[in-house]
Amino acid sequence: MVNLFKRMRKLKSRIVNIRIGTGAAILPTPTSATPDFPAITRLHLTYARKIYNGHQGARHFWRNCLPRLKYHNPGVPMSVKQTDDQEGPAALTIYFAERASKPASVTAAAAQLIDKHAPAPADSEKTTVVDVRNLDYKEIWNKVMNVTGAQEVPATPEEEAEVKRFEQMKEQSGRDRVRIAAIRQAKKDQERMLQIARGEVEKLKQL
Amino acid sequence: MSSSYGSLLPSAARSVLSLCRPPLRQAPMAPFLAGFQQQTRGFKKGKKEKKEKEAAKKARKGPRDFVQKDLKDVEQFALCDAMRYIRAFEVGRDPAVTKYEVHVRLKTKRDGPVIRNMLRFPHSVQTESRICVICPPGSRHEKEARAAGAVLVGEQEVFDKVKNGQLEFDRVICHPDSLEALNKAALGRILGPRGMMPSAKTGTVVEDVANRVEMLRGGTVYRERDAVIRLPIGQLRFSPEELRDNLRATLNQIKKDAAGLNDRITKEIYEVVLSSTHGPGFSLTGEFQSENSPDTALLRGM
Repeated sequence: MVNLFKRMRKLKSRIVNIRIGTGAAILPTPTSATPDFPAITRLHLTYARKIYNGHQGARHFWRNCLPRLKYHNPGVPMSVKQTDDQEGPAALTIYFAERASKPASVTAAAAQLIDKHAPAPADSEKTTVVDVRNLDYKEIWNKVMNVTGAQEVPATPEEEAEVKRFEQMKEQSGRDRVRIAAIRQAKKDQERMLQIARGEVEKLKQL
Repeated sequence: MSSSYGSLLPSAARSVLSLCRPPLRQAPMAPFLAGFQQQTRGFKKGKKEKKEKEAAKKARKGPRDFVQKDLKDVEQFALCDAMRYIRAFEVGRDPAVTKYEVHVRLKTKRDGPVIRNMLRFPHSVQTESRICVICPPGSRHEKEARAAGAVLVGEQEVFDKVKNGQLEFDRVICHPDSLEALNKAALGRILGPRGMMPSAKTGTVVEDVANRVEMLRGGTVYRERDAVIRLPIGQLRFSPEELRDNLRATLNQIKKDAAGLNDRITKEIYEVVLSSTHGPGFSLTGEFQSENSPDTALLRGM
């Protein structure tokens, strides 16, 4: 079994990273929906396998933001489709209950994208496709917030302290790594010097 | 100092040393260290070797039990909370591939028998396991096999399909009454390389076909390795209740296995860790929900 301290440190730093950060937000649910921002029922992301032609941001969005979104909205299904079509679209499809939000209808009119990998919406759902090509994942996130009206979850002081502690530990371990490497190198040098010295004596004996 | 190593060195070496004394004086450290080391090496040799041998013997044996870490330092989670995190880690992954896994840590000795068995879950983990049954058509076994969920049942029609290269199944089970017909049909060349040829040795020629089909559809083989039993326990779309049922069945089965081993050997469950294909492991408290875990209806589907 792995050293417990190590195991817990890794686990805790990973899960605090899921609770807070870019994308930690609550999407409108049927209970919290407003006329401007109806409830979100589903998300689907499609992008190509490699980063050329601006598909990098979409992948980073999946890696960084989607887990946090999923954590704070456990009931919203989210799917990701990775295609081999580098020329194809990088698109985020947002499914609204009943009707699309106001900003969504504006962006949809501008984008005119069709994502053929996205699952078909149910009768009561309306979809909006957001073009995420050539965008940074943070830019994608801002766009998503605008369209959906998601409420960001602020980090609590305890969580901030925890993140800070893990950062300090990381720094300290960097320093320690250098220190230990120096000690090990010194020990090796010492042994090598002794080896050479011993060799000299042997040489002298043979004379 | 010079007298001490002088007495140890052979006379030839001593004369050599005395010959090149002026250059050595300038760097007195090297010969001093060399002489010193030689002395200790010669002096301690016998004792040290004995000690090393003893240490090696001890190391080979090692401690009798596996080291158990104190679980006070481990942050533990209720099942629903762990599931919420795991589902977040697995977001956007292929639902056919990702599975919940469980790692059961046992309190046990390093030597002695290990637990290995097969288990049927209340909710099947693999959905895609399609099973073909070869048995005399029109028999009782055919009906039972169909009822148990076999995809393809029959004798001659199965052989024809296999010969045409239509292999729409992953496992083949054969009833002893049909074994002769199967051997005559000479399907070994087609089924053999795929590991699907029925044989008594692999337990795929059985009397009770229906039971076996059910076992294979929902069955999972597990064994203990280094005091840990690891096995897949559910699909990611399972609800917490379904996963709880599977987990309970697993733990009960393991407890039964441990009790049935031997009177002198005690194995206990020490820690249960829920993990997934891509996610980290969460040690479980044994509770189903905590105060701030979400509604169980939200933790299902994709």
